[in-house]
Amino acid sequence: MLNRIKYILFFSGLLLGAGEGIDLSGQAVPGREENIPFLVTFGRLGETSWGDDDFYQVFFFTVPKEYTGQFFIRIFDPDVGGEHDEIQGEFNSRTSFGVYGGKGVDPDKNNESRGLNNVKNYKGGTMLASRVFGSEPRFDNKYFTFGPFNPTAGDFSPKWNAYIFKVVVEGVSGDDGNLYRFFMSRDPENNIPVEGGNAFTYEYTFRMWNDFKSVAHIYPYVDTGVVYIRQRNFDWDRDGHILVVSRYKQGIGVSISAENNWMEDRIPIEPAEIGSSLDFQFHKAQGELVKNNNVVVTLESQRGDALPFFSSPIGGVPVYNPKITIKKTTKPK
Amino acid sequence: MLRRILHIACVVVLITGFDTSQAQQPPVFSVTKMSFSDPVFSEISPVIIKDGIVFCSDRRFSSLRDRKSFEGNRIYNIYMAQRKDTSEYARPVMLRSERSELFNNGPLSFAGDGKTVFFTSEVETGAVTKKRKFKNHSGIFTAELSGNELVSLVPFPYNSNDYNIAQPSVSADGKYLYFASDMPGGQGGSDIYFCEKVGGQWSKPVNPGTAVNSPATENFPFIHPSGRLYFSSDRAGGTGKLDVYYTSFIQGKWDDPVKLPEPINSPSDDFAFVADDDLREGFFSSNRRTNDDIYRFASTIIRKSVCDTLVENNYCYELIEENAVKFDTMPFRYEWKYGDGNKGIGPSVIYCYPGPGNYLIQLDVVNLITGEVMYNEKTYNLEITDVEQPYITVDDRVIAGSGIRFSAEKTNLPGWKIARYYWNFGDETVATGKEVSKTFMKPGTYNVQLIITSEPEPGGIIKEACVCRNIEILPAP
Repeated sequence: MLNRIKYILFFSGLLLGAGEGIDLSGQAVPGREENIPFLVTFGRLGETSWGDDDFYQVFFFTVPKEYTGQFFIRIFDPDVGGEHDEIQGEFNSRTSFGVYGGKGVDPDKNNESRGLNNVKNYKGGTMLASRVFGSEPRFDNKYFTFGPFNPTAGDFSPKWNAYIFKVVVEGVSGDDGNLYRFFMSRDPENNIPVEGGNAFTYEYTFRMWNDFKSVAHIYPYVDTGVVYIRQRNFDWDRDGHILVVSRYKQGIGVSISAENNWMEDRIPIEPAEIGSSLDFQFHKAQGELVKNNNVVVTLESQRGDALPFFSSPIGGVPVYNPKITIKKTTKPK
Repeated sequence: MLRRILHIACVVVLITGFDTSQAQQPPVFSVTKMSFSDPVFSEISPVIIKDGIVFCSDRRFSSLRDRKSFEGNRIYNIYMAQRKDTSEYARPVMLRSERSELFNNGPLSFAGDGKTVFFTSEVETGAVTKKRKFKNHSGIFTAELSGNELVSLVPFPYNSNDYNIAQPSVSADGKYLYFASDMPGGQGGSDIYFCEKVGGQWSKPVNPGTAVNSPATENFPFIHPSGRLYFSSDRAGGTGKLDVYYTSFIQGKWDDPVKLPEPINSPSDDFAFVADDDLREGFFSSNRRTNDDIYRFASTIIRKSVCDTLVENNYCYELIEENAVKFDTMPFRYEWKYGDGNKGIGPSVIYCYPGPGNYLIQLDVVNLITGEVMYNEKTYNLEITDVEQPYITVDDRVIAGSGIRFSAEKTNLPGWKIARYYWNFGDETVATGKEVSKTFMKPGTYNVQLIITSEPEPGGIIKEACVCRNIEILPAP
């Protein structure tokens, strides 16, 4: 049985404080550092309890202004059938992949473009290419390539100094789960990253590894003005631990919800953590393997603004830096 | 020799040792004979005044004139020598009065106003006679100093024809007058007495009792501005003949008298001790060179006015993982290796090292979720050194009368070539040496200083460092 875990990560779209000089390299989605095998989108006839609350997924790709060549967006295993995908009865689902550019894509300018809260108008922008996949063996366990695209076809973001493109994935029919990955490449046949490119999303629906050892990560970006993060998780069934790691946090354990309830924590943010990424680590409980456990996790700043997640964490993967102080003290009595 | 002006018998006593310190004891006073002391005549009972010294002497009035008593002795009179510089004095001049050529005059004491003089003279017992057995007794008179004249003489109300009252010393506040007397009711010989001025009148003489007086002779009192009472006595246990002692009136009783060390005291008569306000220098009389002379003493005791309080070496440290202590939800175990073979667990630990040294501190962190152990996640080289200071090793609380060992062994003065360890025990005794022993005879709190000086460095510079610590001496059970 495939495990799937659903993380709904609401993000208001504020990306203040980042911009030129931030390394946006890496366009594999999920990113290498995230250690997540696949993204998941179920057909619209699926059940939300299987781990997908809205049957669509929105991802944004950034192409630096300095990059003037063409690029491609490649989708690994886009079909619904064969290897990787989650069958419900028989494969009878169809999944739509659409690439969007032009005005209306930039989530800073078009709030609905983020695809949060089951909004209807998440397809803002100009569709540049699309294709619907069913059970098609020729694309099973293989890449399908959209493009080429010119960077200027995207929606220019002065803040990121980059052109922004959007990929919208919809489970248009059926109830099977389509498991897939993205790669933004300079080459239609090979995965050659666009230098300085990156990808991010506001709602992350993905599958966990089906073993105890692998630890999945998500990397929320801490923007200016964040004092603390409010973390909420739902229906975790106490299946493991979530640790929050940064250069200044070795691993804060957050409260884990039980069956069908919510738990909430505030995670204080050090001033030195502003402008960098946190590492939310998802450790499965050791012992008996819990399967088909779907959870919801939300992250917000104290203002109620959700935090962004980058496939390649801005500032790199945070590595904890111990800080030891040794000082004289009085002899204990 | 003391003569009639003392009017109080001196008793020769055996010289016995009385040493408050078992430490190596360097001399604490230097003594020099005053230049105006004449090898033929006697000079006694110095009094320190602003511009010089006043004393008593039986010297001739002049090369042409002399004056002797009925017994054929020259009579004593009062002289003043102006100080020319720190060591030289001008030729003494007599402070004359109507009694100068008739009676012995002096010793004396100046009141705080510098003008009122209390001086010893003879009480006239009746008509003048040349009978050789006739003998006046000593009494105290007050006078006003006017130039070199003592005027307005008034006899002390307790002068008597039957006994001697002499050697006055008035307290700095003018409230108490100490003197020596062989009046009846004393402890034997002459005793120290005092009167208190109440309502402008002197109270009846009070004998302070056996705490001060003994069956032997006590005389030449000197009440120091600090309240310490100096006097001379030939009691048992002295250095020889009259010796100088001091006592203090503390918490309603007189302390046991303490004998001043040599060279102030000697096998001869040593008496009439006076000292300046801080007891650093003063004068006394002694017949150690056949006749009575006045000697100047100066304290050679080193006591620093600025001396650091000893800082105890502290080898205790708090080791903190700063980020870890901020949260109580860290699923990690922090294991500290202190570098001396011991360990501690916790995001913050306190550990006391055995002593100075270099210790490599290692922090291992165990992830309690994954079981992963992050060895040496952080290391720290801790160098522990003693405080750079002279160091006094001694018990803080000791019983009076028991020997104490003081050690400077743990002194930490890197780069110093130490020439001398000098100990000031806070009771006017000192010692030199890296390790010394000492016995405090009296209970109390003593501030002990250890002063270390270096060998001369290039350029002749001698470094000096001082620390002090309090030692509490407890009463013997």
